[in-house]
Amino acid sequence: MTPKERIMAVLNHQKPDHMPCFGANSTVTYDQMEKMQAFWPDGHEKGEVMAKQALAAYTVLGFDAVRVPFCQTFEAEALGCKIKSGKEKGIPGIDHPPPYKLDDTPEFPKDFLSRGRIPELLKAVKILKKELGDEVPVVAGIIGSFTIAGALLETTTLLRATFKKPEKMRPFLEVAEKAGSELAKALIDAGADIISCEDMTASPDLIAPSTYRDYEMEYQTRQFEKISVPKILHICGNVDPIVEYMGKTGAEILSLEPKASAKLAREKCGPDVILMGGVDTATTLFMKDEDTVKKACEEQIAQGIQILAPGCAVAPGTPLGNLLAMVEVAKRH
Amino acid sequence: MKLLKDFSNIFRRYDLALEKTGEAREISKDPILQKIAKYVVDGDDENIIPAIKEALKTKTPLEIINDALIAGMNEVSRLWDEGVYFLPQVILSSDAMNAGIAECEKAMGKSMERKAKVVTHTAEGDIHDIGQVIVNALLNANGFEVINLGADVPVEKVVAACKEHKPVMVTGTALMTTTMTAFPKIAHMLKQAGLEIPFVCGGGAVSEEFVTSYELGIWGKEASQAPGMAEDALAGESWQSMRAKWNG
Repeated sequence: MTPKERIMAVLNHQKPDHMPCFGANSTVTYDQMEKMQAFWPDGHEKGEVMAKQALAAYTVLGFDAVRVPFCQTFEAEALGCKIKSGKEKGIPGIDHPPPYKLDDTPEFPKDFLSRGRIPELLKAVKILKKELGDEVPVVAGIIGSFTIAGALLETTTLLRATFKKPEKMRPFLEVAEKAGSELAKALIDAGADIISCEDMTASPDLIAPSTYRDYEMEYQTRQFEKISVPKILHICGNVDPIVEYMGKTGAEILSLEPKASAKLAREKCGPDVILMGGVDTATTLFMKDEDTVKKACEEQIAQGIQILAPGCAVAPGTPLGNLLAMVEVAKRH
Repeated sequence: MKLLKDFSNIFRRYDLALEKTGEAREISKDPILQKIAKYVVDGDDENIIPAIKEALKTKTPLEIINDALIAGMNEVSRLWDEGVYFLPQVILSSDAMNAGIAECEKAMGKSMERKAKVVTHTAEGDIHDIGQVIVNALLNANGFEVINLGADVPVEKVVAACKEHKPVMVTGTALMTTTMTAFPKIAHMLKQAGLEIPFVCGGGAVSEEFVTSYELGIWGKEASQAPGMAEDALAGESWQSMRAKWNG
């Protein structure tokens, strides 16, 4: 099977030749940058370099899909947030002050898709599609509405609003949902096969589960209805209290950190949803050795994981051998 | 392909299990203080001000701070520990407590006396100052003066703040593996400057193994440990004995 056939088999509830392995989040590391001779910050800013770095997931790691971008700031920048460069070693972040206050009415710019670095991201997807053809899927990332709203208002302001003035969040969630959806459509037009939605701020580590259920879930569901390709929903941390709702958003694949229970996700979401995840990116993948990584992968597979993946964005200093060890385990299943 | 084998939970009402229910306990027998404490627990930073103004007619500012504001925040800390409260509620309660303390300080004509200073920061490159928000609130509620350096703080700034303020303890929070590498650098520079201050590090990506790999480092598992650790540091415990007590 080609990587694409392998992933399609899982999505169609058929048996793949072996378990696929790829990232819902960024999998770029310094080692891969060296091998590809493509570096940051260019990889965050220039389409050609971004594509080259993403390609390493397939050519260097042997993952079943490639993934762009490597940060969570594209929509926010295009909506008016200030961006702080991560320079050579880090990823771009959102800088202070935020563009809006809670009483403001946010605007969706007409030229959204040509703002910031979005044209470069779309260029990267086109290049990857040309390089990989129909063999290897291109996963393209968008950011969840709640996380974008947090960038527009500053996360703590949004968190206060969840209890004090939750209705005031709606205009921001609307604009944020539109941003992610428009970007997803453009990414699909450029050649993306799978859309991965990262929604860090929707984690129960940050908001109450009832806020997810009563607000974010609605926007997530609306967004996923508009996206024609398979969707991955990734929310960081222990999502046990909300995983049932995540399963109702229309995402075909849920990406879980090992902090969350894959077994519980299966119980609450039923047999149709595909579970993706595997290794804790900080305490295991970054800090430990290959044997520990393999053991952690096996444990998660036993819990019901169907696509092996780093649990979250890979730390760029992660040893190459640890990522290769994941592929080795996937091939055994 | 893994399919659902266990159907035992299918007909359970999951929504009942969504959030733990727990009631705030009574904080003070005195109805005036109880009312103020309740505003802290409810995170109401508006109504708390008139309530304090009213209370100041019969109570001293220190009584209000200690027996209502701080006592209320300690109750919030308990609700957080037990998983009843989520982060937004802790932030709102902390806002209410701080507004209340400011009102009492106005009445005293001076700042309330604090036990000691603690410098807190979130690592350079990390904009997620979420864990630090709780650490600040809890230290504040326990009578420590928090020198809050905020998020995305360069290594040199942390060291400079320690030189200036001579805190009993310094804390670092990091959510990302890319940013926590600043901690050993800070520890090294503090050591070189002759400042053997217990350096409590914690947050999303930060593991015990990592923190105990450098001098001064003590791993903070939960934000709620911060006040207890600060008390130890205030009592003069070394970073070694604090590490032995809180880690491993």
